[in-house]
Amino acid sequence: MSLAGDISAGAPRIHLSQDMRQLIYRLLAAGLLCLALSLASEAFLTANNILNVLRQASLLFFLASGLTLVILTGGLDLSVGANIGLSACLAATVIKATGSPVLGTLTGLAAGCMVGICNGLMVAKLRIPSFIATYGMLWVLHGVTYYYMGGETIHGFPPGFRQIGSGYFLGIPIPVYLMVGFLVAGTLFAQRTVWGQQIYAIGANPLAARLTGIPVDRRLILVYAFSGAMAGVASIVFLARLNSAEGDIGEAMTLPAIAAVLIGGASLFGGVGTVFGTFVGALILTLVLNGMNLLAVNASWQPLVTGVIVIFAVWLDMHGRKKA
Amino acid sequence: MSDAALSRAPVRLPAVPGVAVALAGLALLFAVATPGFLSAGNLSNIMVQSVILLLLALPMTLIIMTEGLDLSMGAVLTLASLVLALTVVSTGSLMLGLAGAVGVGLAFGLINGWLVAGLSIPPFVATLGTMGAAQGLALIVSDGQSVVGIPRFVRQAYSGDVLGIPNPVLIGAGFYALFHVLLYHTRFGTYICALGGNRDALTLAGVKWKRLLVSVYMLGGAMAGIAALLMTARMNSGHPTAAIGMEFDAIAAVALGGTSFEKGNGWIFGTLMGVLTVGVLRNGLNLMAVPSSVQVACIGALVIFALFLDGMRSHKS
Amino acid sequence: MRAVMQATPRLELAAPPATPGTPLLELKGISKSFPGVRALDDVSFAVWPGEVHMLLGENGAGKSSLMKVMCGAYQADAGEYFHNGEKVEIRSPADARRFGIAVIFQEFSLVPYLDVAQNIFLGREFPSRVPGLMDRRRLYREAQKVLDLIGLDVDPRTKVHALGVAQQQMVEIGKALSQDARILVMDEPTAALSDRETERLFEVMRQLQAKGVAIVYISHRMAEVFALGDRITVLRDGKLVGRALPGETTPDELVRMMVGRNVDMTYPRRFATERGPAVLEVKGLAARNGIRDIDLTVHAGEIVGLCGLVGSGRTEVARAIFGADEVTAGEVRIFGKVKTGGPDAAAFAGVGLIPESRKTEGLALIRSVADNLAVAGLPKLFPNMVFSPGKARRSADELIARLRIATPSANQNVALLSGGNQQKVVIGKWLAAGTRLFIFDEPTRGIDVGAKSEIFALIDQLVAEGAAVLMISSEQAEIVHVCDRAYVMRAKRIVGELSRAELSEENIVRMGMHDE
Repeated sequence: MSLAGDISAGAPRIHLSQDMRQLIYRLLAAGLLCLALSLASEAFLTANNILNVLRQASLLFFLASGLTLVILTGGLDLSVGANIGLSACLAATVIKATGSPVLGTLTGLAAGCMVGICNGLMVAKLRIPSFIATYGMLWVLHGVTYYYMGGETIHGFPPGFRQIGSGYFLGIPIPVYLMVGFLVAGTLFAQRTVWGQQIYAIGANPLAARLTGIPVDRRLILVYAFSGAMAGVASIVFLARLNSAEGDIGEAMTLPAIAAVLIGGASLFGGVGTVFGTFVGALILTLVLNGMNLLAVNASWQPLVTGVIVIFAVWLDMHGRKKA
Repeated sequence: MSDAALSRAPVRLPAVPGVAVALAGLALLFAVATPGFLSAGNLSNIMVQSVILLLLALPMTLIIMTEGLDLSMGAVLTLASLVLALTVVSTGSLMLGLAGAVGVGLAFGLINGWLVAGLSIPPFVATLGTMGAAQGLALIVSDGQSVVGIPRFVRQAYSGDVLGIPNPVLIGAGFYALFHVLLYHTRFGTYICALGGNRDALTLAGVKWKRLLVSVYMLGGAMAGIAALLMTARMNSGHPTAAIGMEFDAIAAVALGGTSFEKGNGWIFGTLMGVLTVGVLRNGLNLMAVPSSVQVACIGALVIFALFLDGMRSHKS
Repeated sequence: MRAVMQATPRLELAAPPATPGTPLLELKGISKSFPGVRALDDVSFAVWPGEVHMLLGENGAGKSSLMKVMCGAYQADAGEYFHNGEKVEIRSPADARRFGIAVIFQEFSLVPYLDVAQNIFLGREFPSRVPGLMDRRRLYREAQKVLDLIGLDVDPRTKVHALGVAQQQMVEIGKALSQDARILVMDEPTAALSDRETERLFEVMRQLQAKGVAIVYISHRMAEVFALGDRITVLRDGKLVGRALPGETTPDELVRMMVGRNVDMTYPRRFATERGPAVLEVKGLAARNGIRDIDLTVHAGEIVGLCGLVGSGRTEVARAIFGADEVTAGEVRIFGKVKTGGPDAAAFAGVGLIPESRKTEGLALIRSVADNLAVAGLPKLFPNMVFSPGKARRSADELIARLRIATPSANQNVALLSGGNQQKVVIGKWLAAGTRLFIFDEPTRGIDVGAKSEIFALIDQLVAEGAAVLMISSEQAEIVHVCDRAYVMRAKRIVGELSRAELSEENIVRMGMHDE
């Protein structure tokens, strides 16, 4: 018996149409933001700035797309930012030592993925609540990375490698192509594979999913591994863009990534959300931060604004549930 | 009710928890490994250094007992410390500074509580959001710079003593006693246990629990404000990233102390031992010249282990 | 012996029996709606001092809602309250308590990590002379008095989570009694109690009655209704359908009122003459959840019952076979092959579990009918792992037609379906997965009578097509009418097997009871 729950549970939403509507609202919001910014600042509607927004959004999207799957299962991965730090530093070391960007990239991806697998094992096998397990992992990674780097910076990578982050193809930044690639791949994975469907089912009701014969533990590990691997991808692009690696390289990225997923319409309670929605969320958040930048707002305001946005997005989701 | 639920016999592991073993084990290890560890000066040092953590871990225990979490505590402590430093530097009044710090803490506690109790936003996300907000505000009020020029009398709060007992230890002991009484001898404490254990029971008993829940988070904020005094006095300055991540040590101490993240199963003495365990660990590793970053990693590993044990305990049925 | 009067045909809404003065509490024209459900529709209800008023009705008839309205946990949309003939308002549990209304809920309202005394006096702690503190000594003294009254021999300092279920139920009862209740509402209080505890409870009830306390008692057990009741009220679909005195009615008549028509308790069943090959063979099974030495066999084409008292270990056996709970000894063979691993392995081997709690364990309530129907059969429908929404939709439409699931479309949210149709969706998801062994745990729990026979017709059809069924039910009549054989459980073990010829409610009860 849940006295509070009984009353609010009511009739949950009908899926497809509601999701479509949510998505349209978000696209509208993005459009309005663009309109407002182009009126407020002349610098906004320049090709340079638009490409800049897209490139920034792509970095956010890599992280947020992996996180989307985690949040779809009703979990949370707070370690993604710290994961970027470790993966980037390890990749940088390997590139420096071997001179091979390919080996370095593989190292970064593998490191991110390994961290994700550890998270997945803690959540699935040890049954530690995900936000606590990954929060613990955050500080473990933080400590390991700082110790490993000892306050040093690794910089100066081969030009070919740096193209991944700062190069252009047909006038469009390379990361944007990567973003489109991962957007298509992620959407296909979530919507058009059995595993994707099972991930939705786990998020909607983990108990029922288990009693329906879905190998919940394995899927959870997969999802956290994927989230870790996407942190690895983000770390490589970051590294190539910044041309240097430091211990705190991804630290400030966790909150924006969570914000992007939640703005994109995913529910923290699991089972609701799409990779495309997260793409739109990443775009909206980047537009907001870019706009603040153009309007010469102190960068110190960014964490505050992001924090408020996270809370607002969660509230919107819960409010929507109650109403529908 | 299912057959499974009916037949589940509650199993209680012996009350002597891992935290006592961990504390004794670590103390023994450091006593053997580092000669200076057992000196009276160092032991007193551990106690003094643990007090700030204790001031955060005590309310964190209550918050976690309500099946909540406060990730914003470290950032709020930082912000409160900056507000205190700025106020003292500009007005010269410690009282005003302390009032400002506690006020900031209460305000954030109120917001956290309102988000959690009023809007029913999951606590870890609500406080993650306010953590960002507090961090941002800390950068804004300090303009990213340290606040220096704190008058000497502020240092007294940390370095002074009464009858040879260091001030921080007195403050810590006082608040520990206060929280013990609060949890075990007042209605408030009983209801905190019920908030985590069975909110419907409170509703049926006619208790207005939402207000209670808000006040628990406000208590956490106020304690962060008081901890800000000790921290500012200890560092003799205010710094915009001073206590970032401090909430993690507090959560670690609470989890180590055997307080569960479910069902309102908390233990305030366990938290004290958890705080000392974290303190001993950090102190011992310091003596062994292990970098702070590795200490953080060790604590992280320790927490995950503690949670694993907690999970074993509750799944042993 | 109670004389049962000739039940002359009468209007369902008979005039209320002669009333002894002013009722202690009277509710008039109470209505309460939730989104999509009218839980109570113009219900009037009264209870007099010193009487036990039985409240009957099927699951979902509105008993719990009426109870919650009575104790202030719900606020009625319309209706009036009268206390001792005076019009009053009950807006919160605190209001209800002021009028001496106390409720013993079926789901416990206990806090696990508070002790017995703190739970009994939750919200009514005694202030100490020191302002702000509690008087703990008085708390334990008063709690001991309550425990003595109900004859519960535990230390009031014991944390509640360390008590057994029956003891928790007694604490719950003590909590209500300690409130000096003038009106005591009990929701199936004996469901978890042993015979001795039940007797003790009845004794306490008689004492209270003698003191003029009015008791509202919700029960499913006809024996209790006639042994304890002074007055009976029957609800159906949120409406008041009948009032009666125990001396003037019969169990049959009451059932008819609850159900709304004559119930045909014989479900259609085509019993096969010979059984097929063994589908499930369990030998010496023991599991972490407490069951031991379980031996059972289910053949293709038969329905095997698993019965016993609540708590005897039936659900645990189902969960262990399915791999949901850890097995510690023995073996489970499916189609002759030893099965190891979790539910995924079981599902792959062709086993499907239809759990007792549909909403929490069977369905994803935020998803559509189509999504829920597809979820178990995903690996079978899409062997190359590529999911096609069109194919999933066609499969769902087929199942909806085949199982006659009443839903406007496959895209309908499953939470909006009735209990019976939701149950069909759970069965349907296993059909899509090609399941050959169905384990039903209380398949008709919370389903109205019409849907019940449909569910049984469906089960019969499955068996006729060669599936094997293991069925757990607390309704002995169901087991007797539907099963080919049945195993009876007691204290986590199987204590006997009843053949079709031996199957009777009497035999099941006799085997399932404790030897005494």
